[in-house]
Amino acid sequence: MEKIIVCIKPVPDPLAWDRLAMDPVTKTLIREGIPSVINPLDKQALEAALEIKDACGAEVVLLAMAPVSTRPVLRQALAMGADRAVLLSDHWFAGSDTLATSRILATAIERLAPFDLICCGNFTLDGSTAQVPSQVAELLGIPNIMHVSAMEFRPPGPLLVTQKIEPGLVILEAEFPLLLSFTKEANKPRYSSFLEILAAETREIAVWTNAYLQLGAGLIGLGGSPTQMADLLIRRKVRQGLRLEGSPEEIARLLADKISQLGIV
Amino acid sequence: MDFKLSEREELLRKSAREFAESEITPKIDAMEATGDFALDLLKPMAKLGITGIIAPREYEGVGLGYMARTIVLEEMARVCAAVSMAMQVHHMAIAALNDFGTEAQKKKYLPPLARGETMGCVAITEPSGGSDILGMQSTAALKGDTWILNGRKCFITNSHTSDFWLVLARTGEGPKGLTAFMVDKNAPGAKTGRVEHKFGLRGSNTGELVFDNCELPRESIVGQEGGGLGVALKTVSESGRTGMAAVALGILQSCYEESAKFANERVLYGKPISFLQAISFAVAEIYTELDMCRLLCYRASWMKDQNMRFDTESAMAKSYTCDAAANCAKKAIEIHGAYGIMQEYKVQRLLRDAMVTISAGGTGQIGKVVIGRAALAPFQKKG
Amino acid sequence: MEKSQIWVFMEQRGGVLHEVGLELLGKARDLAEVSGSAVAAIILGAEVAPLTDRIINHGADLVLVAEHPALETYRLLPYTDVLTRACREHHPSVLLFGATRMGVELAPRLAARLKTGLSAHCIDLQWDANGNLLQMVPGWGGGVVATIRCPEHRPQMATVMPGVMQKCESSGRSGRVITWTVGDDLDVSGPKVLEICREEPKTRALETAEVVIAGGWGIGGPEGWKLLEELAGLLGGAVGATRPPVDEGWASEEQMIGQSGKTIRPRLYIGVGISGMSHHVVGMDGSELVVAINSDPKAPLFEVADICITGDFREILPPLLEELRRRLGAKQPH
Repeated sequence: MEKIIVCIKPVPDPLAWDRLAMDPVTKTLIREGIPSVINPLDKQALEAALEIKDACGAEVVLLAMAPVSTRPVLRQALAMGADRAVLLSDHWFAGSDTLATSRILATAIERLAPFDLICCGNFTLDGSTAQVPSQVAELLGIPNIMHVSAMEFRPPGPLLVTQKIEPGLVILEAEFPLLLSFTKEANKPRYSSFLEILAAETREIAVWTNAYLQLGAGLIGLGGSPTQMADLLIRRKVRQGLRLEGSPEEIARLLADKISQLGIV
Repeated sequence: MDFKLSEREELLRKSAREFAESEITPKIDAMEATGDFALDLLKPMAKLGITGIIAPREYEGVGLGYMARTIVLEEMARVCAAVSMAMQVHHMAIAALNDFGTEAQKKKYLPPLARGETMGCVAITEPSGGSDILGMQSTAALKGDTWILNGRKCFITNSHTSDFWLVLARTGEGPKGLTAFMVDKNAPGAKTGRVEHKFGLRGSNTGELVFDNCELPRESIVGQEGGGLGVALKTVSESGRTGMAAVALGILQSCYEESAKFANERVLYGKPISFLQAISFAVAEIYTELDMCRLLCYRASWMKDQNMRFDTESAMAKSYTCDAAANCAKKAIEIHGAYGIMQEYKVQRLLRDAMVTISAGGTGQIGKVVIGRAALAPFQKKG
Repeated sequence: MEKSQIWVFMEQRGGVLHEVGLELLGKARDLAEVSGSAVAAIILGAEVAPLTDRIINHGADLVLVAEHPALETYRLLPYTDVLTRACREHHPSVLLFGATRMGVELAPRLAARLKTGLSAHCIDLQWDANGNLLQMVPGWGGGVVATIRCPEHRPQMATVMPGVMQKCESSGRSGRVITWTVGDDLDVSGPKVLEICREEPKTRALETAEVVIAGGWGIGGPEGWKLLEELAGLLGGAVGATRPPVDEGWASEEQMIGQSGKTIRPRLYIGVGISGMSHHVVGMDGSELVVAINSDPKAPLFEVADICITGDFREILPPLLEELRRRLGAKQPH
């Protein structure tokens, strides 16, 4: 095993979600003052990579496309035990949809080649499209498996992957190179030990711009995205909005009446 | 002046917080019920680096300073003050050995402490009192090549969870007549006595050590013969007071969080009680105390890391923070109303734990003696 | 000129159709009525021809059947290969997938190969004035839905949340079945399937429950969660959750309602300690009667609720349980 690439996405801290707002004019998310954290499932991806590294040795490289201000998030991921990080940051990348994003990531991964394995979280908390893993793999021409709930790799044995997919679990035998995206059940991510936190301080976070990737304007950003945001809609269904007040017992009686009217009780 | 924590300190906090919330939380109920420290936490705490945080790298520690230790103790105490208390005393033993031990003693004792194979224990207090250190009655006398130790230590944190104890005993008269020893729990004549049942910090083990003609090899002395007072004062003042202050700081943080959450959730007269000024002022007071104490605690720890003299500052941090924790825990209970005294709610534990921090690790009053001396000195007439 | 085609990918496992494909046919039918397009279903498998009648009755004018032994069990690369060839030959204008685990893995890979756009977890589809498909995707914050379109690339691809669209079944519809010949050059590379373990759902499926009691961050812990389970048990319903309880381990991933979880439309939904972020609301606002219980009178869930109760659930649920038990008990035969 030579190299494992782990895709990391800094996302707004879910504990601060109630402070998120959408700018009605630009239709973008107002993220100011909201701290970034590692997308939770990316920790499962990193843990999976580190378990292979612990077992048979490998260089674990983090890859993120995010503003330079999210460096501390990468530092935290380095402190879990990754060897180095690459941060893809360029205003040309802004506005990329999943296909354009996947092009940028895949091109960066080609620059990092050769590699054996790419690990991703199954979805991110903010976008939740879950499209990037399959698209990166397609653009690289390697197989991929989503919804990975368990992984077993004991060289010289094969890589066994458990996929949680309708209607149950499927056990797959896979070969490298390969891209896997992990679910929460896959493992329990390790804590950053204090020694690793110290060691991570000297690990490299390289910033790559499009000057290095050399992707044409028609492939990235808004211009390279086949999908466009056409509109924002305020969704409101007319609801009764009836307020029940009184003592807990009175409220309980009124609510039980309403439930009875539905014919459920 | 820079009041911002470094990236390293932020990462240490994050890691300690994740660990405490996920790994310590499930142990709290059992520790509260039995009063026993959850020994199975030691290995994972060692893996993270909590047990060896201030032990030097050459003895398998992490080699971090007091600022880092304060942040980590604070985060643990935010979840469970008892575990934080046990660790802060564990660190005191490491600090004493590192400051005063011989190379052989450091090699023997520091690695197992850093690796979390056993817990550190510093035994000063006796039935006659702890702050009146010179009134100590335990004695050690040299017979040939063997020290014979007699006496009884009480209210000793980690007494029953430690394999070896740092014990202070009288080897002569006056302030220069105290000496520190490392005592193996299997030494002939050494045994543990009763386990105390405290109303707060229940999960930190506290008990008695009894020495009945206990035989110790000559090389058991830590520091100089007659240098025990120095060992005790430096250890209590530096790692003890900053450690106790950090435990209380974590309690304060929790007082604030529990109060703010409850005030926003609890509805009276159709609105969350946080809309009532009586409640919002109480939360504001807790929040302010928390910030003051954090500044005091961090400054004292920072001074230690800068190799500055900081006995006054550590005494201020300890005595003020522990008092503030108890006062704020009382306020937090009042904010909770009747819920506050229910066992399901955390605030009652915060008050019980905070009360114990006041007398532990050098009472608040002794701290004030230190502070008073420093405060008055510049205006004292030279005799 | 040939009619433009709206395609629906029919997901099947072991010869059993996934409901979402039939739901999508209903929506495709609606869209086709407006635009005058044809609705085509595409189904892959080893022996799936017996399913075509049911597919036609649910609204397909045309069923493309791709049969090959290597397609019996779903595998990503062979499925992508067949779908790519079909799209390149027939040039569908629209291609819809259910946002199931299979669809979520397969659709993006296909979209990348076809270099076209794909929207995720749609909750509605419409035409715009220029004949482009408008794809409604639930977005961040403030109860907004982003409308996505893909004007310059075909097919216009979307994955659609299961449970959102309505099936329309009528017996005796007629349609054409075209069997697609899969050549021996089928791409059979990629991971090999060693074993398939079917997992039967243990609890009442959230999507089909008439009553759903959902809990959020405000429940505070497993103790409070028990109250929800008690209430669901009493009403014969299921317990759902927002993301925080799943992250905290009070509820399982299967119980999550919303954008990255399940879409439900029960007769009665009771949301307890749920603030009501749009992530969650998109998964539940098809419910008939929505009850919200929250201590914060400003919780956004109140804005989408029929019945709003401001207060602590620990005080409100116990008397409600008592009252319901009394009424249920009174109805029991002697």
